[in-house]
Formats: sequence, structure tokens, C-alpha cells
Amino acid sequence: MSRRGAIASTLVGLSTALGNALVSETIARKPGWLQSLDPRVKLTGLLALVLAAALSHRIGVILALWLGATLLGLLSRVSLPTLATRVWLAVLLFTGVIALPALFLTPGTPVLSSPDGKLHITEQGIVAATLLITRVETAATLTTLLALTTPWMQILKSLRSFGVPQEFVMMLNMTHRYIFVLAESASQMLESRNSRTVGILSSAAQRAIVARTAGVLMGKSIELGNDVYLAMQSRAFRGDTKLLTGFRMTSRDFLALSGFLLIAMIAIWLGRA
Amino acid sequence: MSYTAVFAAHNVDFHYDQVPALRQLSLTVQTGQCVALVGANGSGKSTLLRLLDGLCFPAAGSISFHGEPLTAANLADNKFFLSFRRRVALVFQNPDVQLFNPTVFDEVAFGPLQMGWNSAEVISRVDATLEMMGIANLRDRPPYRLSGGEKKRVALASVIVLDPEVLLLDEPTALLDPRSQSQLIDLIQNWRGTSKTVITATHHLEILEDIADRVAVLEQGSVTAVASPQQILSDSELLLRANLVHAHRHRHGDLIHSHPHLHSHSKHEHEH
Amino acid sequence: MHIPDGYLSPSTCAVMYTGAGVGWYASLRRVRRTLNARLIPLISVFAAFCFIVMMFNLPLPGGTTSHAIGVSIAAIVLGPAGAILATSIALAIQALFFGDGGITTLGANCFNIAVVASLVSYACYRLIASNAPLISRRRVFASAVAGYLAINMAALFTAVEFGLQPIFFHDPQGVPLYAPYSLRVAVPAMMLGHLAVAGLAEAAITAGMVAFLQHADPALLSAASGGAAATLAAEPIRPNSLRRLWITVALLMFLAPLGILAAGTAWGEWSLSGETHYTSSSPSSALHRLATIWTAPMPAYAPPFVKSASFGYLLSAMFGVGLMLAGSLLVQKLWKRRSTAGSTP
Repeated sequence: MSRRGAIASTLVGLSTALGNALVSETIARKPGWLQSLDPRVKLTGLLALVLAAALSHRIGVILALWLGATLLGLLSRVSLPTLATRVWLAVLLFTGVIALPALFLTPGTPVLSSPDGKLHITEQGIVAATLLITRVETAATLTTLLALTTPWMQILKSLRSFGVPQEFVMMLNMTHRYIFVLAESASQMLESRNSRTVGILSSAAQRAIVARTAGVLMGKSIELGNDVYLAMQSRAFRGDTKLLTGFRMTSRDFLALSGFLLIAMIAIWLGRA
Repeated sequence: MSYTAVFAAHNVDFHYDQVPALRQLSLTVQTGQCVALVGANGSGKSTLLRLLDGLCFPAAGSISFHGEPLTAANLADNKFFLSFRRRVALVFQNPDVQLFNPTVFDEVAFGPLQMGWNSAEVISRVDATLEMMGIANLRDRPPYRLSGGEKKRVALASVIVLDPEVLLLDEPTALLDPRSQSQLIDLIQNWRGTSKTVITATHHLEILEDIADRVAVLEQGSVTAVASPQQILSDSELLLRANLVHAHRHRHGDLIHSHPHLHSHSKHEHEH
Repeated sequence: MHIPDGYLSPSTCAVMYTGAGVGWYASLRRVRRTLNARLIPLISVFAAFCFIVMMFNLPLPGGTTSHAIGVSIAAIVLGPAGAILATSIALAIQALFFGDGGITTLGANCFNIAVVASLVSYACYRLIASNAPLISRRRVFASAVAGYLAINMAALFTAVEFGLQPIFFHDPQGVPLYAPYSLRVAVPAMMLGHLAVAGLAEAAITAGMVAFLQHADPALLSAASGGAAATLAAEPIRPNSLRRLWITVALLMFLAPLGILAAGTAWGEWSLSGETHYTSSSPSSALHRLATIWTAPMPAYAPPFVKSASFGYLLSAMFGVGLMLAGSLLVQKLWKRRSTAGSTP
């Protein structure tokens, strides 16, 4: 546990997450290839590619999809450093650690054995670990590209046009909105706590502070939720929202969609068992 | 009860979970009046505004809007509901509560869409309102990227777009910097003299003369005085009792001098 | 415990989405039935709250830190339907906006973390707290246990989903295609971390918040308050004559595959010895292996279709859905017992 304490690291975590969110909003407004597509096409197309990566049995196919995703990112003003820091490193650390024991634990033909003959690295283990890591990296790259190049509002509206019930969409939107409000509240509370503390608190005391902050936050959340409902009623809301629809598919969108689906199908076929 | 009364509240009682908020409150507001509700925190100003907006209903007593009783049953009627919601608008004290849509444009469009206007009308009206409020550049901004003053303006825009007859403002100048405050006051002054009724809850005493023809003082859930701003402001006993000012004590040599004091008054003169 | 994309096969993901979908559908119907549109902003803000709580670093005894999820306190305050929706929404936003967590595995994550944990938390809390007064130590204790068990159940489901991957999804050479650890490894590995650490974090947050609310705003803990949250939690279940049938179906779906599985073929599947390897590389032998896992105990005179791989797939689907059904029915039964006994929840 770092000397900073749980409170300080929570604060850092909160501001990092929010900072990342603001960065994605910036990227989503840049004039890149993915940004110019109809969000429904992006949602369908990128998810098709994720599915292709998930279905493939061949590492080569997955790597090709990964490369393709990176290229798409570059075309959409998402730089390699951005992808590396936001996706690749984190996945490597997390999934890498998880995949490591698989080298030893997967039964199969031994490739490397320890001197006493107890531990073996098997061929199957190597393939399994590689498959897992490449799959996770590729999928994460694709989904991050989706999130980075599509403004939140457009994601919501596409979900709506795909038939997700309007209550869900409304709740998704409001939750997203209030995450920022609550994050600010939480940060302020924790910061004031932090600044008023002298010395290092015991872990029990820190726990108490965090639980307390969570409690106050929850009270505020409920009050906020109730007030928001009043505000919505005041503007004639009674449970059903009407949205302005604004999506229109251009021929470019259709082409892109066909391209995505074609590549996905080829990848699935090439990667079959 | 005059037929020109917009709101008529008679002996209204209201409580939150057994805690009384309004006691036997009576108040009448005429069409086209600009009224200020003043009172300390907890005196019931916000509660009264919410009742006037038909968001909650009295436990006892009655409130009517142009003679129509404001009850849950009446508001269940679709026609009355839509008509009332269009004609009466409430701006909450905390703008975050009113900004629950993904972008500024969506926020201002929310009301008109709920009213059932068609898309073209909604878009043109929203754009016009954004222009008028000087926030057209914020059109596609998400609410978490707005400053306090911008949020207040968007909140205002989101209710003005429906062109309401009655505006209920809850502490509109709270949390605003001086320039935004004066812009807001200008806006309210624009409505004075028109047929719009404006009811402002505030404890910001020095703007009273700018924004109101009549002032109603609330103490502990009841209206204890209704008079012109000048009369109210010069009644220091009332102001003290209503906890709108505090007694400021200081020494002059051996004299201890006490008088009601508003910190925001820059000029400070007294004789002795 | 959040499962990223790539760890579960697409068919597993599909099954889990179905399971989660059932949970969403049931919860949404409940929200609609209470005719309380006020719940929409309430659930939303609670979801935001869950999201933020998931980012809190909690120091635990022993020097580690962990994160809680907040689903257990959500279930206590909002009831299971509200908690299922709120947590699912928080997870969806994590995946769709913050790019954190899988989209193909969103169904699985929602099933494990939103559905299972909510149901377990609510059931435990109601069972243990039963009639205790709102401001009592017992409620705090009940909530701690509820939080602990809820998270561990969610972890168990996750571990089982992981552990089944190599059994069902490997190539002819024996390479696991997705999560590479069998049940024998996955279950202890996941459970250890959660029993020892993460479960405590959730218990701490849940109990801490209940204790706090007991002083700050006890009404939130009481289903008898007038709040919208309470309406959702306290609504009595209408007795259903089809209920018995559902219970039987659920039990069957849940127990049958489990029983077959327990025949022992799956558990001893992988040995640590490097000597074993697959002699045949043809697809048919792989399929045969799959089928035998579920169907090996079948007697020799059983019809051939019973031994096919598709039947095996069907059984695993039944397993998942049956579990969820059984869980929700159990909770409903508890509700019913509470409300008919006239006790204060």
C-alpha cells in the first residue's frame, strides 16, 4: 500500500478516469475516418470484427485483425502512443499475468522442461497463452476505438434505434451525466478530508472515512435523483421521452458497413477450426 | 379572489416526512406582477415554488392557477397538464438538477419535444432561444463542460423556449459571479412591465428593488408581510426577525453599537 | 471480477447474455409495473454512485487494498430489481464509454455482478436481518454478510464460467481457445482472492454504509418509508398458480446438468503431468470428448442423440438459466414469506 493512503489514491483514480473521459470527447470530435461514419455502422462493424477475433482459432487471423484495428485508429487520429497507453500496456500487464501460469498448467507436448522434470512448458500452453493475449488485445483495441471515436450521445441514439428500451437509454444517459457530478462531489469530500488529516491514518480509520464518504455520497445521489425527477416533471415528462432522430445513412456508410462485415466473415472463415 | 390572480394560495400546509415546511400560508399573485419571496434558509421559499409548479401538493389548504385548483387529479388530465406545463416554468436553484440531457441542444429541446411539437419547429425554436440567451456556441456541449454561469443560462433557456407566462426562479443569483448576476437581473427586468409573471425566491436583498414590485416575507413557513421593496428594506425590525440580516456589533471607544447589517452593502454609514 | 473480451467463447457469451437478459427483462417489468417513473432518475443516480464507489480504494486489514462494487448496498436500498438495473447500467457505461471491460462479455459481467450479487445480497440481508429494528447491530451484521456472500457468489459464477472454457472450447491439439484454466484451477484461484480480500471490501462498504445510514437517514433502509426506492423493494409478489411449475422447471434445469457434471468426469479432466497428450487430432475425437463430459454417465442403452455434442451445449445453457431462475424464485419466496407474515422488512 502506497504511503499516500487509500484516500489520496482514490482521488488520483477519480481524476484520471475523468481526464480520460474528456480526452475521448476531444478525439471524438476530430475529423478522422471512423468519426465520419454513422454510429450504427460503427457499432455493428466494430462488434462484427470483435466477434471475428473471438471466433478465430488461428493466431495469424487475430493478429491481422489487430493490425487492421490499429490502422483504423491511425486513420481516425488515434495515435499509437494513445492506443499503447490506454489499451495495450494495461492488457498486457493484466492478461499477461493471468496467462503466464497457463504455460505450465496446460497439458500437452512438453517443449521446455525444468531440470528435475517436475515443471514443463507445453506447446499447447504457449499457444493458449498467445491466443488469449492477442484476442484480448484485439478486442480491447476495437472497443476502445468505438468509445474514442463516437460521442456518447450518438452511442445512445444508436442503441435506441437498435431497439433498446427507452427507459434503458434514458437511464444510461442520466447515469453518465451524473457520474461527473458525483465524481466532483466525491473528490471534494475526500480532498477536504485529506487536507484536514495530519499524519498517516490507520487502515481502519481510512476505511471509516471511505465508508462515510460513500454514505454521504449515496444520500446526495438519492436527493439528486429525486430532484431531477421533479425537474423532468416540470418540463412535462411523464415516463416516456421523445427523441429527435437524426441518423441518415449515406452511400459511404453502406460501403463501410459492407466492408466491415466482409472482412469479419473472411476472418471467421479463415480462422475456423 | 380577483380574476386576474395567477396564483392564489389559501392556508397551505406542507411537510416533508413530518417536518413542517409551510404553515397556513396564504398568498395571492396577480398577472404581470414581479414578486420576490424573501426569507432565511428553511423558511419555505423553495417549497412554495415547487407547490406553485404543481410538483407537490398541499397537505391542507388549496392552491389555484387562474382559478383552476392545482391538484394531482387535475394534473392527471392530459390537456390541463400540457397547458399548465407550458405556461408555468420553474428554474431550480441547483442547475445540475435541470441538466440531464447529453448536450445543451438536447436539453433545451427536451421541453418542446415532450409537448409534442414537430421536429422542424423544435429545431428552429431551440436555435432561436440559444441565440437569444447568447449560448449558441454551447449548442453541442455536454453539461459537465459548462461553467456555473453557463449552466444557469442553459437551465433558463430550457424553460424559456416554451415561452411561459409564469416564471418561478429559485435563488437565481446563487453561485453566480457578479457579471452573470447582473446579466440575469437585466433579463428579469426585461420581463417587468410585460404580461409575464415572475416570482423570485431569494435572500439577496439588494437586488429586490431591481427585480420586484412586491415583496413577500416568509418566516417559518408563513407569509408574514407583503409590501413594496422599499417598505420591506426599511423595516429593520422585520428584517432582523426574519433572519434576513444580522445584528452587527462594534465598539466605538466605550460605546458598543449594534445595528442591522447587510454585508453586501459597500457603503456603511451610521450616526452616533 | 470484470471479465474482458476474449476470455469467454462467443457461445458462452451468448448464453450469459440470455441469462442477463432475463434479469433485465424481469427488473424492467417490475419498474414499469410500479408505474413509478420517479425510479428512472433514482436508479440512474444510484448507478452513477456504484460507478464512483467502484473506484474507491479500500484499505483492508493486512495491508492490502481492494475495491468494492456497491451492488450489495444497492440491493438493500433499492431492492433487487433496482440494483440489477443500476449495476448493469454502471457496467455498461464502463464498457461503452470508458472502454473498460468487455462488450461481448457485458452479458456475463452483468449476470455475475448485477444479477447474482443483487439477488444473493438481498436474500441474505432479508433472511438475517428479518424483524430486527432498523437501528440495530443485527442489520449491520446482516449487511456485512450479505455483501461478503454476494461478491463471493459472483466470483464463483465467474470462476465456473472460466473453468468450463477449456473443457468445452479447445482445438484438436488440446489448446484451450479462451480462458485456459480448468475448474480445478480457476475456482480456487478466483475464490481465494475474493474470500480473503474482495469479499471483505464489499462487506466493509456495505456494513459501513448501513451503519452510516442508520444515523443519517434510516428511512432509506426501511421498505416502509414513502420513498420510491422503498416501493420497489416492498411490493408484494402476486401469487402465481404457474409458480410451482416454474420452480420444478428451474430445479430441473439447474440440477440435471449439475448432477451429470458431478459424476466426476469434468473435475479430474486435466492433470498436471506433462505426459498426457491427445493422440488423435481429428475433429471428431474432440467432439466426442465434449459429449462425454455431460453424457458419459448415460447407460449404454440410451438413445444416440443424448450423446451428441449439441446436447452437451444445451445442458450448459440450461445450467446457467436454471440457476438464475432458481435464484430469483428463491428470493421471491422469501419476499412472500416476509410480507404474508406481516413482518417489517
